[in-house]
Amino acid sequence: MAAEFIGEHLLPGQIGYFCVILSFVAALFSSFCYLRAVNTEQTDPVNSQSWLTMARWGFGTHTIGIISIFISLYYVIANHLFEYHYAWSHSSYDLPVKYLLSCFWEGQEGSFMLWMFWHSILGLVVMRTAKSFETRTMSIIAMMQVILGTMLLGLYIGQDIKIGSTPFLLLRHAMQGAPIFSMPNYMTFVKDGNGLNVSLQNYWMVIHPPVLFLGFALSLIPFAYCIAALWKGDYKTFIKPTIAWSLIGGAVLGTGIMMGGRWAYESLNFGGYWAWDPVENASLVPWLTLVAGLHTLIVYKSTGRALTITIIFLLLTHLLVWYSTFLTRTGILGKTSVHAFTGDGQALYYHLLIVIGFLLLLSVALLAIRWKSLPKIKTEEATLSREFWMFIGSAVIFISAVMIIFSTSQPVWAPLYKLIKKKDLAPPIDVIKHYNDTQVWIAIVIGFLAGITMYMKYKNTEAKKLWKHLAIVAVLSGVLALAIALGQHITTWQYCFMLYSACFSIVGSIAYGISIQKGKFKNLGPVTAHLGFALVLLGILLSSYNKHAISFNSMGVRFGFDKGSEEKNIAENRENELLSLGRKVAMGDYYATYIGDSSVPGKDKRVYYKVKFQKIDSTTKKVKEEFMLYPDAFINPKGNESGLSANPDTKHYLTEDIYTFISSATDKGKSDTSTYRSHIAQKPGDTIYLNEGFMIFNGFSKDVQDKRYQPSDGDIAVTAKLTVYDKFGAAHELAPIYIVKNKEYVSYIEDTVRDMDLYTRLGNIIVKSQDSAYAEIMVRQTNPLDDFIVLKALVFPYINTLWAGVIIMVFGFFISLGKLLARRHKNSPADPVLAYDNGDELPE
Amino acid sequence: MKKTHVALLVLVVVAISVISATFLDFSTYETFGSASKEPGKSFHVIGFFDKAKGIQYDAKTDPNQFTFYAKDKSGAMTKVVFTNGAPPRDIDKSEQLVMKGYVKGDVFYCSGIQMKCPSKYKKDMVVGEKV
Repeated sequence: MAAEFIGEHLLPGQIGYFCVILSFVAALFSSFCYLRAVNTEQTDPVNSQSWLTMARWGFGTHTIGIISIFISLYYVIANHLFEYHYAWSHSSYDLPVKYLLSCFWEGQEGSFMLWMFWHSILGLVVMRTAKSFETRTMSIIAMMQVILGTMLLGLYIGQDIKIGSTPFLLLRHAMQGAPIFSMPNYMTFVKDGNGLNVSLQNYWMVIHPPVLFLGFALSLIPFAYCIAALWKGDYKTFIKPTIAWSLIGGAVLGTGIMMGGRWAYESLNFGGYWAWDPVENASLVPWLTLVAGLHTLIVYKSTGRALTITIIFLLLTHLLVWYSTFLTRTGILGKTSVHAFTGDGQALYYHLLIVIGFLLLLSVALLAIRWKSLPKIKTEEATLSREFWMFIGSAVIFISAVMIIFSTSQPVWAPLYKLIKKKDLAPPIDVIKHYNDTQVWIAIVIGFLAGITMYMKYKNTEAKKLWKHLAIVAVLSGVLALAIALGQHITTWQYCFMLYSACFSIVGSIAYGISIQKGKFKNLGPVTAHLGFALVLLGILLSSYNKHAISFNSMGVRFGFDKGSEEKNIAENRENELLSLGRKVAMGDYYATYIGDSSVPGKDKRVYYKVKFQKIDSTTKKVKEEFMLYPDAFINPKGNESGLSANPDTKHYLTEDIYTFISSATDKGKSDTSTYRSHIAQKPGDTIYLNEGFMIFNGFSKDVQDKRYQPSDGDIAVTAKLTVYDKFGAAHELAPIYIVKNKEYVSYIEDTVRDMDLYTRLGNIIVKSQDSAYAEIMVRQTNPLDDFIVLKALVFPYINTLWAGVIIMVFGFFISLGKLLARRHKNSPADPVLAYDNGDELPE
Repeated sequence: MKKTHVALLVLVVVAISVISATFLDFSTYETFGSASKEPGKSFHVIGFFDKAKGIQYDAKTDPNQFTFYAKDKSGAMTKVVFTNGAPPRDIDKSEQLVMKGYVKGDVFYCSGIQMKCPSKYKKDMVVGEKV
């Protein structure tokens, strides 16, 4: 078959596909061996040890296989082997090298590979650290790799059933029947790939998916440990590693999610970092359940309570990762998401359903079998105990997750609703308001609980002391909240509550860290994480509540609040402003002027627009501050499309961001309709008026100094010396050249002032007498009214609070982790205290 | 009953009532005809861009508005005024549009559009989401 076609490179694909099979078989082998090792653990330890050795080799081979798949696919993409469907559909020759990696995660196969890659790396770590839990956790991890491996198989069973899809599929196989592939030399016609989606051509898109997928992959480890604990009936050994892995997972997944937000903020033009988009929600929800599980696990570690709910939360976290894959990859969200990936057909849909069903069944069955034997404590906890309120807090976080996933899953359950009510349900008209209206209450409750619960002790708390502490925090945070509310004009009552709650949590965390933990660094993990989370809440509130468009002098839409009628709501959205070339337009405290673009016709598809912002003192009329923004856009990115794909540019201040992007612009490639106009200059000193300036003719010269002109015999070359004054008074010297070659034909070399979009040509020399001649100066200048951009400019106040909060929170996770691991080195397995200074012994 | 159980029960009740209360937020898919029965109320309408009539957009008169014609699933053609910005990329090549908006008079005033693009490899796009 290969011989039929010319110019194909089949080897990398064959190696790659061999590694797909190899890694699949190795994972299957490893999983089986680990299972045998578990089964023979008690009865035949020697045999169990050899099963274990084989299983480890199997998993090692599997990992090598996965890495080799990666290398093969990278080779295919980097060498632009467009005979492969994956390279053809996700890359192109003009794709910068730094974005080659992004091709991996644009496609479905690449994303599954990335996921598997992280699983295998994490698997190696678990293999080395899990000790008595290795056989069970690793059989789960290896089993998961088998499941994920099926996603890459691309096998057909019969005519219709397809299992997975391989990234090494050839273009001619992907598009069977297309007439071009009947030609042996079809490769000569495949000139270029389809290219990478321009919104993915951004450095955040290079680093955000690997981090996010590492976060998703990390959810597997607590899952595996919980399954292993149920399986083994050992509910003590798993605590420490599970807390450690949950901490890492919470930190990494949290980082990944906010990196996605940062990407959206910096490169998408939906005007913000969070839009309650289903894809965002689908990654937030597992994080919420993971954090809930982490808290109840700490309760269990310290008091022996809440084991069952912990296991449920942590099992659910991994199931939700699979469910989010189902939501975002099967196209089921089709109508509702900005970046839900278009579906890869029914095959993936059922494939994922089967996987989720299987994992759910496994979890539920194991839990049911062990339900009776799970250690439970009969007595009640005290009302003023830390464990009680941590438990309530976790339950609230979980409820938030349930609410979000319920609304996000609307397309999934809508058909059911239609069956009952005969109505075709659609997502809310104002999606953001829908989520904000409910989640603000969760934020309020969590903020207060995070602040209060730290001051409680396990088992019971001395009420007097507690109230004293809390009263101080309440007063201090009340003052802080009031100051912020007045300064930032926050008036809506529920958001005032949220502000108070966030302040309470901030003040509470800081006060607790200083006064009770005495700033001892290794103990500051939870306090730091809570402080970071509270700052995130505050940052969200400040940046979103007073987010406003300055490209339209309105206060903008606050948080998607209803203004009473649709007409009013829509009027609020008129946030685009037209900026004609060179015209100053008032925008909030600034004047914005569009002063040109970077376009070179036919060269770069990415055009940067230069917009000057000036802040002018109202009394002295002097420019107080000036800066440039360069929002850019891919005009007509693939040559046959209409419209543009914009990337914002943002001016960052410590206290606010000014965020701009292009909504529309003149396509110079198409609309360069301006033509040369003739002007006659009769004598030196004559003036020709231009748009936004004028030009003075200084006479002719035969002294031609121009690199573009190569003199040759018989030429007559004359330049017109011109001085152009722009509207700022700056002078530009121009010297267009008129050339007569061999006394036969005339040619011109034009001269330009790019900033003014001005082209001049010496069109003719009209000899009047022995020593006088008129110059015909041809002038072409784009009418500034025809050169415009439509700009949207938004202000995000105090958005740095949000980013700082995320960093602080993640840092807090790692402090806790550091403390946990330090204790492990000290080899004190009985020590139950995680990062809390007042925990109690775990009951035997 | 244990205190935790009572607390959980309360939380579940609150959660269910909040979910039911916000359930009213969900909109419905309508046609231009059925949406016109409640003028001024926003719905989702699935339709198809009319290529023959094209897009009218003049940034100089109003950079926030453009008009086009769309056919809904029942085949009715209606003028659509988009009031939320410039025309999105490739709207004229879209296979299908999901439009958010309301009917007033003979016109569908639209505040958000989601497009299904013909290429299998291009992601769906959304414009005019409130920010």
